[in-house]
Amino acid sequence: MKETNKAIYILRILFAVFGAFVVIFLFLNHSEKIDTPLMDYFTADFLAETGAQNAVAAIYLNYRVFDTLFEALMLMVSVMEVINVSWANKHAEQYRFEEADFNRKNNSEIVIRMVGIIYPFVLLIGLYIIINGHVSPGGGFQGGAILATALITRYLVYPNFDLDLDMLERLEKFLFLAIVTTPVLYVFMQLQPADTVLSHSIYMIFMNSLIGLKVFSGLSIIFYRFVFYEGL
Amino acid sequence: MDFLTGEIVGILLFFIGLFGLMTKKTIVKTIMSMSIMESGIFLFYITINYTEGSVPPIGQTSEAAFADPVPSALMITAIVIGIGVTAIGLTMFMHYKQKHGITHWSRNRNQQGSGH
Repeated sequence: MKETNKAIYILRILFAVFGAFVVIFLFLNHSEKIDTPLMDYFTADFLAETGAQNAVAAIYLNYRVFDTLFEALMLMVSVMEVINVSWANKHAEQYRFEEADFNRKNNSEIVIRMVGIIYPFVLLIGLYIIINGHVSPGGGFQGGAILATALITRYLVYPNFDLDLDMLERLEKFLFLAIVTTPVLYVFMQLQPADTVLSHSIYMIFMNSLIGLKVFSGLSIIFYRFVFYEGL
Repeated sequence: MDFLTGEIVGILLFFIGLFGLMTKKTIVKTIMSMSIMESGIFLFYITINYTEGSVPPIGQTSEAAFADPVPSALMITAIVIGIGVTAIGLTMFMHYKQKHGITHWSRNRNQQGSGH
């Protein structure tokens, strides 16, 4: 029995190594060089067409905005799953704030002092990355993730669950509605003013802020739900 | 070290994750292997179609060729979806662990330890 298991294990290792070698061999020797029509189309004149200086922002907010819509839907569905398909909703009702527990977790003076100094700068760089997402590297997803680290540091300093997650979830649903309606009206139905230079960049900043806030609330909900059950 | 490009490392990471999926019987290790496979795919896509000396596609300066912005824009989407998939998997694992006491992909309920 044990020797068959060992043989199967070695067989699996050989299978993985063989597969990797076959794929690398095919990739190095027989990969076809294809033209890049999409890249040529997207990088030809994106500043005039979309008002974004960052080509990636131009792609995910204007040329391929469907991707962003369904990605936002996907994140929202996973957040709803994390909240609802959870075994310990009973635990949430039983939870009480315990002073001794709080003091035990809260014993690192260095972390508290440093986080107190860093906290406003984290918020600042998150907002900067969101708002400048269309002229420089960055955008809604990255800035939202940085904003969510601000709440995570809040948990390190003040490990309590008085944050209103229901409010955050409702906010996320409203933001998703706004994320769907804005490109439908502006990009698909072309409800644009005659001079689109200003309105394009307003659209970019608005969409980046919406996506940033949505990613922020989604990641915070996921983090707080997971950390809620720690030690159980 | 020309051989070790991002694509090669991405393919290797993918097969490391596949090996983990094949051999490990712990559910948490399965989720970790899926994450490793995902990162291999991200790395492969991000470094594909890279030409030496290209500049980031920001602004309209055309002194040098732009790097390809299409894979980066696709991978932004894929990374967020990967976070969602991992979160769903971990939540379902926690649910099953509490309800049925299952931590392994096995008919034998009493398996313990990290050797699986």
